[in-house]
Amino acid sequence: MRSVDVVIVGASLAAAAAAKRLVDAGLETVVLERKELPRHKICSGILSPRGHRFLLENFGPLPRETLHEPTSCRGVTFHFPSMVSMPMDFFGGSTPHLHRKYSDHWAIQRSGAEVHDQTSFAGLDDKGDHVLVHARKHGESVEYRARHVIGADGPSSLVTKAIYPDYTKQIPWFFVGQKFHDIIDCPLSPEYFHFWFHPGLGHYTWSHARDGRQIVGVGFKRGDNFAKKHQVVQAYLEDKHGVRLQPAADDDEGCAENFGPSLINRYVFGKGNVLVTGQAAGFLNMIGEGMSCALHSGAISGEAVVEARVRNRPVQEMYRRMIASEVRRCTDQWNPVKIAFDRPHEADFPAALMELGWRDRAKVLRDMWRFIVLFKEFKWGRQMARAALQRPLIGGYSMQRWL
Amino acid sequence: MKLFPVEPGTVGPCPVAPDALQGIKRQQTNPARWNGAGWQDFVAALGNAGVELAEGTVACGVYATDAGGTAYGMPHGVVIARSAGQISLLLKAAQSHRVPVTVRGGGLTTEGESVAFGGVLLDMTGMSRVLQIDAAALTVRTEAGIYWHSLAEELRRENLDYLSAPLNLTSSVGGTLGVGGIDVNSARLGCSADQALSLQVVTPTGEIVECSDSENPELFQRVILGYGQFGIITAATLRVRPYTPLAMRYFYYSSLRTAIEDLQMLDANDASDYSGILTIMDCAVNLLVAFDSDEREAVFHANWKSRLRGYGEFGFALCMAGHYALRPWKFREALYLLQRKREVFPEFRRPEYMRDGKMHDRSVVFSRAVWKHWGSRQMVIPDLATSADKFIEAVERGNAVCRKYFAHYTLYCVGIKLRPEHQPHYEMSCIPPDAEGWAYGCEFEPMIEGGVYSRDHFQAFKNAIYDIGVDLGASYYRFGGMMKGYIRRVFGDALVDRHLAMKRRADPAMILNRDVIF
Repeated sequence: MRSVDVVIVGASLAAAAAAKRLVDAGLETVVLERKELPRHKICSGILSPRGHRFLLENFGPLPRETLHEPTSCRGVTFHFPSMVSMPMDFFGGSTPHLHRKYSDHWAIQRSGAEVHDQTSFAGLDDKGDHVLVHARKHGESVEYRARHVIGADGPSSLVTKAIYPDYTKQIPWFFVGQKFHDIIDCPLSPEYFHFWFHPGLGHYTWSHARDGRQIVGVGFKRGDNFAKKHQVVQAYLEDKHGVRLQPAADDDEGCAENFGPSLINRYVFGKGNVLVTGQAAGFLNMIGEGMSCALHSGAISGEAVVEARVRNRPVQEMYRRMIASEVRRCTDQWNPVKIAFDRPHEADFPAALMELGWRDRAKVLRDMWRFIVLFKEFKWGRQMARAALQRPLIGGYSMQRWL
Repeated sequence: MKLFPVEPGTVGPCPVAPDALQGIKRQQTNPARWNGAGWQDFVAALGNAGVELAEGTVACGVYATDAGGTAYGMPHGVVIARSAGQISLLLKAAQSHRVPVTVRGGGLTTEGESVAFGGVLLDMTGMSRVLQIDAAALTVRTEAGIYWHSLAEELRRENLDYLSAPLNLTSSVGGTLGVGGIDVNSARLGCSADQALSLQVVTPTGEIVECSDSENPELFQRVILGYGQFGIITAATLRVRPYTPLAMRYFYYSSLRTAIEDLQMLDANDASDYSGILTIMDCAVNLLVAFDSDEREAVFHANWKSRLRGYGEFGFALCMAGHYALRPWKFREALYLLQRKREVFPEFRRPEYMRDGKMHDRSVVFSRAVWKHWGSRQMVIPDLATSADKFIEAVERGNAVCRKYFAHYTLYCVGIKLRPEHQPHYEMSCIPPDAEGWAYGCEFEPMIEGGVYSRDHFQAFKNAIYDIGVDLGASYYRFGGMMKGYIRRVFGDALVDRHLAMKRRADPAMILNRDVIF
């Protein structure tokens, strides 16, 4: 049995950030990845500028092969059913359009950690002073003994499931899928990520250019039909925006997402010697960008392990106190009071709104309200209002709600 | 994916977009851990040369972080400095085996500059003897690993004192000469680096060289305020002065701007021997002035005291009482102010350091107070150094950043007298290029108060402060570690590339204090 300081499950950006902090501090770190690296990853790839800066500072300049074409994204354009469109540039300039297959591989290599790919996490036993991690490689059992385990294995986290078996049943799940089309004619600017606040199209509808094709993406409550939802969006884009596309290629893809925890401050940070981070913990910025908070929360999980060892304190205590800043930043993005009176996002929505005429402003606010009503069934409203109230009173969000 | 090594100091093209991360250079600033290539051969070479190297977690773990406490790194091995000859052998072996060497004095860096991300950590505190005191010429020759506090102890036996040094008990002489060093008398006597008359330096290729303004002046100019890039200071000859206790006086302001204006007025008129500003809160600002002699104090009282707009302690207490009586909802703020007064003020008047109303051992008094009441487990003190005319704007903008990130914080402002003949020393250093006569520095120090914050939170705070420096064309007390990301933004590519070319000539394998600024 291999004995190491830390086992990280997943070879994502969160894992790379955690590994970087651990390896820097001289801790023996092994990363377990289910697939063979470099592995495909379903993602829009539009990283926020804050995430870009993190990658640059910690792993160095991005190599060209870690980027799709177009290599950058200038900002986000919101579209509304009333046919008002609001382009918003990112603060600080364009941001990378990551090719996750290669960017994740590059980052995990740059972290300096030892990577065991084609090794599936199968379970763990927290023994108090160490954790036994069970895995499978090429059908055979492999075991690791680690002081700490970091789960950075995405929204459908097996590590979270291992420590909270009922968690996945307690939260609503969404399906997010994207199809790729050759373009006949597309008036949507390839420089922007386009997002529709349209309740008729789904919970999460987006489109942007990639490698000469147009992505049409839809997100909806799990259980609905991907093909039908996609068809509706494609027809809408053609009808309302004049986007004419070839039928979708057969390399469409989709995955399960849990974007409730950030809204209602219901994160999962682990138990005992097991930390959960990145999207597995529930971090997701508004407009579904999870990479920048995955990088920062991943780094914090690594720092927490180092701090816990240096200070001889429980790792959960360290992690939860240190992660509070990232929780504030991420949940602020969903906090209506912050959105109205502050600038929690990396593009200036209030300024873009004020540039519109008062009629269009009213239409936008009405359309946004109708879109928000679509989420009524999840009963997040009161929890969000409570969190928004807490924010100025305690200077953050309550730790009591975290798992 | 094939990873290609990145040449230190280089800035590559940006494949993302020309306007991505506007102004930020394409450089990794949190260095990767050195991969250990050729370590065993290097260890064998050191063994043959008779240089003792300690390996293992216990030996190396002591050096895992610095006073900043945000960057953690583990050296492969540790060498305790014993002599210039030993360091020379170490650097020769490191140069030929391309093993990075990180030098550490008191470890009081705040951005990980004295943290080794692999390679060798050289602990200079092993070289801490005072070699010679010349009371007639008012000079001292000392090994560079000595703490200023220990040096002060030795000098006191001869009734001497150093000119200026950081108000910190464990900063080393060598480390300070490499970065600047500010004291409350810097507005009159300059920064600590300005008091060095000559240095013994071991160059990155292992030569032991004596340098001064007349002997090897180019090396002297680069090593002073050079962030450890051009050599390791092993011994230094410093100017010293006769020891004097000091009489400290305090003035209180409710406006930061007014206090700074008064500070600059005092400095410009040479009205006091010591001067500085310490804030407790935005509305409670303390201007401290002190004097080496009764005569100097008498002149101050006759000519300058009446021009100060600050209050005495009693007057200010009345003002604050009135202020909070009209704003009862700010009672927490008032309580905090009272609590700080109760805790901090006695520290500056401890009877064991006061005789006849004068303070003895200012370094001890200030250092104790700093560590007990400002510092915590982590020293988080981003700073700005500007010319006199930009200083108020820099401080006010920095103060607004502090307010955004932390509930309580303190500012420490002080003037730094510049010496025109030392202009070559100041190139690409903490001294702002446009400063004339005086530079002014401000440290922004959050009160961490037992809190635990992520590195990201601190870094976002520091970046917000440092960005003000970029915006104003200022400089910083401490370059290094994360500051690697700022040096090109502040000084421009042409100047940095010129220094980089010099560094490459001096240190072909780029082993010495890698990733601090290049």
